[in-house]
Amino acid sequence: MEIEDDEILQGFIEESLEHLADIENDLLAIEERGADIDEDLVNKVFRAAHSIKGGAGFMGLTTIQELSHATENVLGLIRSKKLIPTPEIINVLLIASDQLQSMIEDVHNSNEVDISAHLVPLNAIADGTYSQSAVDAPQRAAKAAPPPEPPAPAKAPASVESKPVPLAETPAPPEPPATQAESIVEAEADAEDDDIEANGDNIEDDSTDANDFTAPARGGSRSKTAGPPAKTETTLRVHVSLLDSLMNLAGELVLSRNQLLQTIGSDDLRNAEAVGQRIDLITSELQEAIMLTRMQPIGNVFSKFPRVVRDLAKKLGKTIDLTIVGKDVELDKTIIEAINDPLTHLVRNSVDHGIEKPADRKRIGKSEIGLVVLKAYHEAGQVVIEISDDGKGLDGEALAASAVSKGLLSPEQAQVMSDKEKINLIFLPGFSTAKEVTDVSGRGVGMDVVKTNLDQLGGHVDIISTKGAGTTISIKLPLTLAIIPCQIIETGGERYAIPQVNLEELLRIPAAQVQNRVERVGDAEVVRLRGTLLPLIRLADVIGIERTYYDLNNEEVKPDRRENTADRRSKESPLFRSQNEQDKRQGGRNDHPPRSVLDRRNSASSALNIVVVSTGAMKYGLIVDRLLDSEEIVIKPLGRHLQQCKGYAGATIMGDGRIALILDVANLARMARLTSLDGSDRASEVAKAEADALRAQKDRQSLLIFKSSETEHFAVPLNQVERIEKISRNDIEDLGGKRVMKYRGGSLSLMCIDDMASVKPLADHDNLLVIVFNIAKRAVGLLAIGPIDAIEVNADIDDVTLSQPGIMGSIIIDQHTTMLVNVYEMAQALYPQWFVEREKVVFEPEGDVKAPTILIAEDSKFFRNQVKGYMTEVGYDVVEAEDGVEAWDKLHEYGDQITMLVTDIEMPNMNGFDLTQRIRQDEKFGKLPIIALTTLASAEDVARGQAVGVNEYHIKLDKERLMVSVHDYVKRRH
Amino acid sequence: MADSRSIGDSKRIVELATFFVGDALCGMDILKVQEINKLMQMTKVPQAPDYVVGILNLRGQIVTIIDLGLKLGLGATDLSQDPRNIIVNSSGGAVGLLVRKISDVVSADMERREPAPANMRGIQGEYFTGVYKTDNTLIGILNVDKVLSFED
Repeated sequence: MEIEDDEILQGFIEESLEHLADIENDLLAIEERGADIDEDLVNKVFRAAHSIKGGAGFMGLTTIQELSHATENVLGLIRSKKLIPTPEIINVLLIASDQLQSMIEDVHNSNEVDISAHLVPLNAIADGTYSQSAVDAPQRAAKAAPPPEPPAPAKAPASVESKPVPLAETPAPPEPPATQAESIVEAEADAEDDDIEANGDNIEDDSTDANDFTAPARGGSRSKTAGPPAKTETTLRVHVSLLDSLMNLAGELVLSRNQLLQTIGSDDLRNAEAVGQRIDLITSELQEAIMLTRMQPIGNVFSKFPRVVRDLAKKLGKTIDLTIVGKDVELDKTIIEAINDPLTHLVRNSVDHGIEKPADRKRIGKSEIGLVVLKAYHEAGQVVIEISDDGKGLDGEALAASAVSKGLLSPEQAQVMSDKEKINLIFLPGFSTAKEVTDVSGRGVGMDVVKTNLDQLGGHVDIISTKGAGTTISIKLPLTLAIIPCQIIETGGERYAIPQVNLEELLRIPAAQVQNRVERVGDAEVVRLRGTLLPLIRLADVIGIERTYYDLNNEEVKPDRRENTADRRSKESPLFRSQNEQDKRQGGRNDHPPRSVLDRRNSASSALNIVVVSTGAMKYGLIVDRLLDSEEIVIKPLGRHLQQCKGYAGATIMGDGRIALILDVANLARMARLTSLDGSDRASEVAKAEADALRAQKDRQSLLIFKSSETEHFAVPLNQVERIEKISRNDIEDLGGKRVMKYRGGSLSLMCIDDMASVKPLADHDNLLVIVFNIAKRAVGLLAIGPIDAIEVNADIDDVTLSQPGIMGSIIIDQHTTMLVNVYEMAQALYPQWFVEREKVVFEPEGDVKAPTILIAEDSKFFRNQVKGYMTEVGYDVVEAEDGVEAWDKLHEYGDQITMLVTDIEMPNMNGFDLTQRIRQDEKFGKLPIIALTTLASAEDVARGQAVGVNEYHIKLDKERLMVSVHDYVKRRH
Repeated sequence: MADSRSIGDSKRIVELATFFVGDALCGMDILKVQEINKLMQMTKVPQAPDYVVGILNLRGQIVTIIDLGLKLGLGATDLSQDPRNIIVNSSGGAVGLLVRKISDVVSADMERREPAPANMRGIQGEYFTGVYKTDNTLIGILNVDKVLSFED
């Protein structure tokens, strides 16, 4: 068919499509009102059909003319109130308008389309001979023979998409290129839904239930349905006022340019500045105005959902109320176009799988009418779209179980996952093949596709779901894709930009902490961040460039030769590293001139700069050389030669005219073969390794190491230390034979180790340290000199060799014999008056009552002796046991004599938890007070202890607190 | 896009922009050249094919620079020897060809063009449509489309 004037035809097509878009929603409105006919509305639809008819007649599009004419006839009857618009009639009209749309979109072939399937019912309605059965037959017949129009290629993707559907058509030849197919698919996909509807036996058949359920959702994900702006438009309507303001700005820009050119000729600096500011201002305004032209209300996408929901609900036999909020929220055109598919998918999922059947809803006490709410609003510079339903919600456990059964997840991984993580499992690629998930929860069909699509837009999906109460999926989208705020970083001397939507936080690990916080698991590095383990990726490694670091001293980029960050060449603190060791290491690097005495690893330059980024459910740290500013950048595409470089989302031009590449954090993770599951894999590995390490090293004790004289090393348990103050020797006052200093508005009593123990006197330094302890509710300071450090050691304490008043034992730390100071004992000896009051309380056992007997279970002899010391000191009897088994035996041996149990947690044979559990389950001893002692009281340990029945938790060597609670329980017992 | 062969079909005389890649004198239809510059502030792109030297900001447009020497297998172009970029517009946006030195513009009669000699086949031979002989030298006529195609 030849159509002479392309321009007129194009105009007709555009106009008709606009009309059709309105017709659809108007028809739905008419249906809602039923017999109460709104004449204006019907008139509007009538006129629309009429103009299509007129235009089509003029262009010689006879088929379109014919169909619109039949439609017009029916509408005419409704207008004149001779016909009441029942849902059946509206249905016929809707299907007809869909057909019109598909024909108009392919006008050149429209005349060959067989429209009798539509004409028959339409004419029947007009003649008054219409009945439901009359329409069913022709419709079915029509569908069985697919419309002979062009969609031959379109049919293919539609069918391919919905594999599980036992449709009449067999999938046509290979899938054509998606982009092409998509624009054609749209109307067709709808027709396909109708197919299903017409082939009612398919959908109603329970045996294929699961498949059917997923089919529409799937097909829908690709279909663009009847929404008007769904396809990529080549033209755009812009308000004239906006265009005017653009023109104004352009004019101003030209003026400013002229000024600038003049100023450049002269030497007037001040004027140049003014002009610069002006141009800056105009540019920003121009940018804003141009962005506005690209903004479109999200209503363009939302408007098609009433129909989608209506059709689907009808088909599934559900009653659903769709509420749309925030139609006017505006988004960039490209985003509007791109969110269409994911949104359709999600809405269909909500209707299809979220909302229960009316009968089911009634049974569980919900209203029979399901609610689906579609909401858009602005939040923090982003647009949030929420799709919520009051359906059955997602069952995290079931999802996890399903993922495990599919082998996507190990049972161990599933166990450590939070509920939220479990729900997020539905985004896993390959998570669901229709049936299982429909059985379990009804979701998860192609959700990974939804997520990928949204990720590409820089969006973020979040699911909140309460089982039985409904699901809310919220999508956060940037307003525009053209200009995005980015964090600029530097690696290998080049700058890179990381989109701020992906940015979680910036982390700098000081050189001194790198060894402690960064760990290796297998060949992966992880960092501890607020109790979780974050996988680390080195940007330089992923993109395959030489590792470098930025030398802060001379502002140079230098090659980095370290093998890995978690360098365990020495576990001990750098402050204690011997000079020899350093010399050795430097000697080994012959290719380098001797460096400064301090190894670089301890200088500021070797601090790690980590950009914590997230993409979807995955979060990881990207190690970069330097963190620079955050900037708003304009994305420019990379040439096709660089398309294969997956790590970049594009490039941008920086202020100095050079180019920075924009990193694609999702692809970087993929390139580093880091998936979110890998992440949790590693995390659980690390957690396990850690648990093993803890078990192996059992009693780890945190110690504060310091010196008093230059040559002797001392340590105190870190948990006893309140704070550390730096003072000058002049601050110390010698009053009444006691040393004191002003401290927080009072006097702080000061002690030296040599006051009591026979050690070398305090070094004669001007700068001293005061380690403040809180003993007997008073602060007391211990004078010391640096360097100080906090370390964790195995509590392999020798309590014999160097034991003396004030020193409880010794331990080898970093090849130095370090003496453990017994601060409590010192304070008691030096300030006995503080303890008088307390001692009285303690010596309570009256006359004939036997002293209470405490059972101490502790495998370390040192700690056992310490605790025993505390107890005997105040007059208690002590029974010792080396492990849980022995304690259990002793408990039976001594029976009622035992007043309470003080037990260590980590012990061979039977640990403290097991012992406690056993005692609690025992009839005779079930009520025995149990105090657990531990070196590291982590929150989990405490929780576990409480779960098995530990009464109280105390830190080893915290004599004061331990004794208070021991007294407490003893008193209660008597 | 028409390559020089089809241009040769439609018109006989073609102006060739000639330049040195390594020691070889190459030429291309001057109408394909957008500009020649010596901007060398390139940003390296890790993971790019080895013949991509980097990307360049050409008045707000991102241009990929290809080292023609590496692409043709004639060895990398020395960046310190004041090389030039020939900016060519291709279907996938502008691309820069890094060459050692720019030479004259030569009017060439395409009918006198000879097929690439046997010793030009091999790796780089595929990038030439033929050889043009002037009074004192030979110009290899570059198949620009082939050079810019990226599926190696």
